[in-house]
Amino acid sequence: MTTEEEISIRPDLAENLQRTWANLARPGAKWTGAQRLAIAAEARRARDRALPGSDLPGPATEASRLLAVNPAAARRSWVEALVAAGLDHESYVELLGVVGRLVAVDTFYEALGLPPRPLPAPVAGEPSGEISAQARPGRGWVPMVGGTSITQALSLIPSENAELARFHGPMYLTFEEMSDPTIAKGLTRPQMEVVASRTSALNECFY
Amino acid sequence: MLSWSSKINQIPINVRAITDSSIDPVIPGGVALLRFVDAVLARSAVDISAAVTVVMAELGQAGLVDAAAVIGNFQMMNRVADGTGMPVGAGSRRRHADLIDQLGLDRFDHTDEA
Repeated sequence: MTTEEEISIRPDLAENLQRTWANLARPGAKWTGAQRLAIAAEARRARDRALPGSDLPGPATEASRLLAVNPAAARRSWVEALVAAGLDHESYVELLGVVGRLVAVDTFYEALGLPPRPLPAPVAGEPSGEISAQARPGRGWVPMVGGTSITQALSLIPSENAELARFHGPMYLTFEEMSDPTIAKGLTRPQMEVVASRTSALNECFY
Repeated sequence: MLSWSSKINQIPINVRAITDSSIDPVIPGGVALLRFVDAVLARSAVDISAAVTVVMAELGQAGLVDAAAVIGNFQMMNRVADGTGMPVGAGSRRRHADLIDQLGLDRFDHTDEA
């Protein structure tokens, strides 16, 4: 197995991974740091085909596992059932952000032949309760700010939406850079899009 | 994004390669990148190792790291889109109707299903 020292990772990307990992451990808007790490660990267990093993409420365990391994199976009725079972939209959106970044980072490490990054220790503290007052129901399954759009997908929880945007830039392109078809990093833009498109096709993601 | 960026960069590409593994996407390193994505999503350590060697040889370490990062990012974005029922707008559907049809992408659209 390769080690992290053997691979030259761009400084902005390395910093992004470090910051994201620290963010997972801190209290969010609805979940404590320990609960966010439990969500991440549950997502990891699901990907490793291990049985559930957290103290999370049942709907949170179910959501963490399905979103980690088979997001294309998500349906509006499934989200509505989670909400009816006690996982409110706000908690669901934050959980989705945590699972998304956990899977992203784990995939990155695995792709480079690196061992999975150990989850950090939780940071003590209570959830902030910061929820957007501007979010409204729309065509998507959860309320969003300013209409239904991928850049606003997690805007019900402003801190999660901001974290998604921060993570997105070093991993791929910032939302602003995306309008530049000639931008290049280690790959040309068309090469990046081949990778992105194939990933989305294998995940059966229409969007 | 794929057909748009390849057109602007005047890099020919066969977009059908995205959903058909028997087709060469034509762009430099394209086959190596597709094999790499396949191996990573399948989580096959043996296939990943083999694909890494080819991507390194064709695109260098910077290319390899960026490819891994892009895969990771879209693992996240696919989950966010699917988990929030993100619809594709009518305008975007119209603009990309040929591509959606060519690649059979409609089969992935579950946003209107209960």
